[in-house]
Amino acid sequence: MTPLEILTAAIRGESAPRIPIFCNLLDQGARELGMGQRDYYRRGEQVAEGQLRMNRRYGYDNLWSLFYVGKEAEFFGCREILFADDGSPNVADFVVKEWDDIARLELPEDITRHPAWEESATCLKILRAEAGETHPICAYLTASTSLPALLMGMERWLELLLTGPADLRDHLLTLCSDFFRQQVAAYRAAGANVLLYSTPFSTPYFIGKQRFERFAMPWMERDLAPGGVEGIVYYCGMAPFNEVIPQVIEQLGIGIHYLSPLADLAEAKGSIEQRLVGQNRLTCGVIDDIQLIRWNREQIRAEVQRICQIGIPGGRPGSHFLFGTGVMPMAIPEPNIRLLLEAAFEFGRVS
Amino acid sequence: MIAEILKAYNEAVFETDKEAAFEVVEAALAAGLRAEEVVFKVVIPAVEEMMSSITKDPDANLAQHFMTAQIAAEVTERMLQRFAHPPAILGRVVIGTAAGDLHSLGKRIVMGCLKALMVEVVDLGVNVPAERFVEAALEHDAQVIAVSAMMVHTATSEQGARAVRRILDERGLSNRIKLVVGGAPYRFDNELYKIVGGDGWAADGITAGRIIIHLIRDVKSEQNGQNEQNKQHEEREHDPA
Ligand code: B12
Repeated sequence: MTPLEILTAAIRGESAPRIPIFCNLLDQGARELGMGQRDYYRRGEQVAEGQLRMNRRYGYDNLWSLFYVGKEAEFFGCREILFADDGSPNVADFVVKEWDDIARLELPEDITRHPAWEESATCLKILRAEAGETHPICAYLTASTSLPALLMGMERWLELLLTGPADLRDHLLTLCSDFFRQQVAAYRAAGANVLLYSTPFSTPYFIGKQRFERFAMPWMERDLAPGGVEGIVYYCGMAPFNEVIPQVIEQLGIGIHYLSPLADLAEAKGSIEQRLVGQNRLTCGVIDDIQLIRWNREQIRAEVQRICQIGIPGGRPGSHFLFGTGVMPMAIPEPNIRLLLEAAFEFGRVS
Repeated sequence: MIAEILKAYNEAVFETDKEAAFEVVEAALAAGLRAEEVVFKVVIPAVEEMMSSITKDPDANLAQHFMTAQIAAEVTERMLQRFAHPPAILGRVVIGTAAGDLHSLGKRIVMGCLKALMVEVVDLGVNVPAERFVEAALEHDAQVIAVSAMMVHTATSEQGARAVRRILDERGLSNRIKLVVGGAPYRFDNELYKIVGGDGWAADGITAGRIIIHLIRDVKSEQNGQNEQNKQHEEREHDPA
C-alpha cells in the first residue's frame, strides 16, 4: 500500500500492514541541500527537493509544503524574518506595533496573487507531481485566534485578547479569519490534503475552558465554515487540549486530532473513539521530540513502543491511529532520527 | 476585612478582570488599609494562592498567569509609591530572552510575578547576548540571571544560557550569581536545564518567582557566610595573640 492509502485506511479503520507514520523534518531540508536557511527558503524548488530527499532517506509517510510558520505574516506586510542555521526561522518584525496599526492592516484580495504565495505554489506543484499519487501532502494553516501572535507578538496579542477593546480585537480576528479561509482554499486547490489547523490559542492551556467556549469556538466555526473540515487536523502547536476534544468533534466536526506529547494519550483516544463510533477518525499520538536530543536507543524505543501500545491495542487492525512528531529540532542527532523511525515502523506494525 | 478584600481581589484575578482588581484595591485603601497592607496582605498572598492553586487546578491557564502577574505587578508598583518607608527588597534579578529569541511573553509573566513578590527586576529585553546578561548582573549587583527561551535552538545554543554559564564559571562568579532558565523547551524536557548549565528552571511564572527567591536567598546566605568568614579572618589577623 502507498503511504496515502495507509493514511486513508487508518482514518476509515480499514486494515493495513501498519499505522501511518508522520515525521516533521522542516529545517533539516536546508542542511540536506548544504544551504543556509535564508537561501533555502527563498525558493519553492529547494524546499520541495529538501522535503522529498528527507522523505526518501527516512521513508516516513508525509510530505510538507510548509516553509516556516512566520511566512503567513508576510502576507500582512512582515518584511523581516530572523533566520538561524541551527533552528526555525522567526518573525522579527511585527506588523502591528501599536493597537492603532490594526486599522491599517490590509489583507490581499487574492492571496494566490501575492508574492509570498508564489514559492509555496511552486513547492506544492513539485510535490504533487513527484509524489501526489502516493503520499499525503501536508499544509500548515494558523487559525484566526492564533495568527495575531505572528502579527503582533504573543505578549501584545494576549493583552489585546484579554483587556483590549472588543471592536479592535474583532476587527483583527475578522481579517485573520478571512485570511485563513482564503489560505485553506488555496492549499486545497494546490493539492494539499492534510491541513493542519494550528490553534494553540484555542486550548484551555492558553485561555481556560470558558474562554474556549465563548471566545475561540465561534471564531473557529467562522474559519472553517466555507471550506468544511475535510482533511482538517486539529493541532495546537503541542499545547495539550484533551478537555475540549468533545466540543471540537461535536461542534466543529473535526475527527482528526494531533495531540500534545504532554497530554494523556489513552484518555484522548478514548474520548475520540467514544464520540465517533463507526465514523472516520484518527488519533495522532505524538512523541516529545525535544527529548530525542539526549535520549539513548533504549529510551527512544521504549517511548515509541509505549505510544504504539496505547494507540494500537493488541496490535489489531482498524485502530484509527497515527504516530507523529512535533517540529523536530535540528539538534536531534541523525542516528536518533533513524532510531525513532525504525522503532515507529517496528512497533507500528499491525497484525 | 482583609479576608473579604483578599477574596474579592482573588475573584477578580481569577476572572482575569484587571479593572475589577483595581477597584477592590482602591476600595480597600478608601476603607483605611495602608499601601503596605495591600501589598503584603492582599497582593502577595494572592500570588501565593495562585502558586498553590495552579498545581491543583487543571483549568489554571496562561491567561490567568499573565493577568495575575500583570495585575499584581501594577498594583504593587502603584502601592510602592504610597509606602511610608522605602520597602525592603528581597533581591535583584536581571532578565531577558536568549540570543536569537524574540518571544517575550514568558519573560513578561515571570517579571510580573517577581515584582509582585518584591524582587527588583532589570529587564534587558529580547535577543540578549550572553555577555550582556553577566555585565548587567554585575552592574546592578543582581543575585540571579534569568534567561527565557521559547525554541530549542535558542535554549540550547552556545550563545544562550550555555554561554552565560561559561562566563560565570570562567570569571569565578558562580557563587555570586545564579542562573535560572525557562520557556517551552524546558517544559518538554525537564532535564534540559542541567544540560545548559542552569541552577534551576520553572514551568510557569509563579513557580519561577518561588525558585528565584530561593536562589537569591542561597546567594545571600553564601555571601553572609563569606562575610562572616572574612570578618573572623580579619579579627584573627588583628588579634595580637
Ligand atoms: C503558541 C505557539 C506558537 C504560536 C505563536 C508563536 C509566537 N509568535 O510566539 C504559533 C502557532 C504562531 C507558533 C509558531 C511557531 N512555533 Co510555536 N509554539 C507555541 C506553543 C504552543 C506555546 C509557546 C508560547 O509562546 N507559550 C507562551 C509561554 C509564555 O508559555 P510557557 O512556555 O508556558 O511560559 C511559562 C514557562 O515556560 C515559564 N517561563 C518562561 N520563560 C521563563 C524564563 C525563566 C527564567 C523561568 C524561570 C521560567 C520561564 O513561565 C511562563 C509563564 O507561566 C509552543 C508549545 C508549547 N506547548 O509550549 C510551541 C513551540 C514553542 N513552537 C515551536 C516552533 C518550532 C514554532 C515555529 C518555529 C514553527 C516553524 N517551523 O515555523 C513557529 C515560529 C513562529 C514565529 N515566532 O515566527 C516549538 C519550539 C521547539 C522547537 N522545535 O524548536 C514548540 C515548543 C512546539 C513544539 N514542541 O514543536 N507557535
